[in-house]
Amino acid sequence: MVVSEGDESCLLLDEKLLRFMDQLELLEEKRNALNTLIEQAWFSISKARYSMGNKQVSTLQFANEMKPLVSVHVRTLEDDKVEFCTERSSQKCNDESVKDPTSIEDVGPQEKGIRQRKKPKHNNTERKASEDKGSEKVPKVNPVGKRDHNPQQDPLKWFGILVPQSLKQAQSSFKQVVELSAEIAGLQIAVLNTRKELKDDLRNHDRSAGANLNASAGSKPKEVDISSANEI
Amino acid sequence: MAGRGKLIAVIGDEDTVTGFLLGGIGELNKNRKPNFLVVEKDTSITEIEETFKSFLARSDIAIILINQFIAEMIRHAIDAHMESIPAVLEIPSKEHPYDASKDSILRRAKGMFSAEDFR
Repeated sequence: MVVSEGDESCLLLDEKLLRFMDQLELLEEKRNALNTLIEQAWFSISKARYSMGNKQVSTLQFANEMKPLVSVHVRTLEDDKVEFCTERSSQKCNDESVKDPTSIEDVGPQEKGIRQRKKPKHNNTERKASEDKGSEKVPKVNPVGKRDHNPQQDPLKWFGILVPQSLKQAQSSFKQVVELSAEIAGLQIAVLNTRKELKDDLRNHDRSAGANLNASAGSKPKEVDISSANEI
Repeated sequence: MAGRGKLIAVIGDEDTVTGFLLGGIGELNKNRKPNFLVVEKDTSITEIEETFKSFLARSDIAIILINQFIAEMIRHAIDAHMESIPAVLEIPSKEHPYDASKDSILRRAKGMFSAEDFR
């Protein structure tokens, strides 16, 4: 009976050790992937800097206001397992930049000018009326000085409007790195938790094995005594 | 949705921080306190350590990314951090490739197989 319990605990220990090894292997794989991605990203940044100029893509170009486009949701599961889930709010950011009336793509005043140029066939009164309407519309245009700076804009725009493709590649690589780093962080915690479990189980196993040995050692002298008594 | 989640902080050289901010992790909070630190040649170890400890103390940070060569400078502070959140992740830098034997987490995991752990 005692022997089977010991076997069971040994099997459990083996299972945990295998799980620990699997987690370590997965961690190494993800680490390698992260290192490769990050190297690619730096190479892309260097290429962008080469085409934009030596002092471009630096800390001096960071925006004065920043809002994170990525957030991490931490989920604590059973057995102290922790999961990190990244959530990106880029969709919202893009929508906002499209809706923003003061964005660079807004060419309203130019279109109006062209419309006025197409109207020379109308008589003077109509032209005057259209001019009056135009003058009424002018105050509605938002002045450039008063525009609100959107803190949740795409960080790519800090470095210019027409940035090279390599900088966009760097951005997409870093986006992947962010997601991968969240996975690795979760895996690191899992590895440490499994290690702790394994360590505790090993200690308990050693204690129980020691107790069994003592018990068996305590019962042996009696047997010897009995056998010696029989011999006598 | 972004408001409810936690942040990723980064301590690193210029290219690392620039890259991660391009990735969209940067934040300047109401007190204009950033969630990143650009380590330059003249940045002192005390400043790095203080920033690292301030990131550990912030409840809105879930992950701290740090270049491994900077982590080496404040190894004692990283080793002293035993909580799971915020998780500390050592990453390579342009001039210093990643060395698994220096990583705090992997060193702890490796400790499983040393003779001392079985006592």
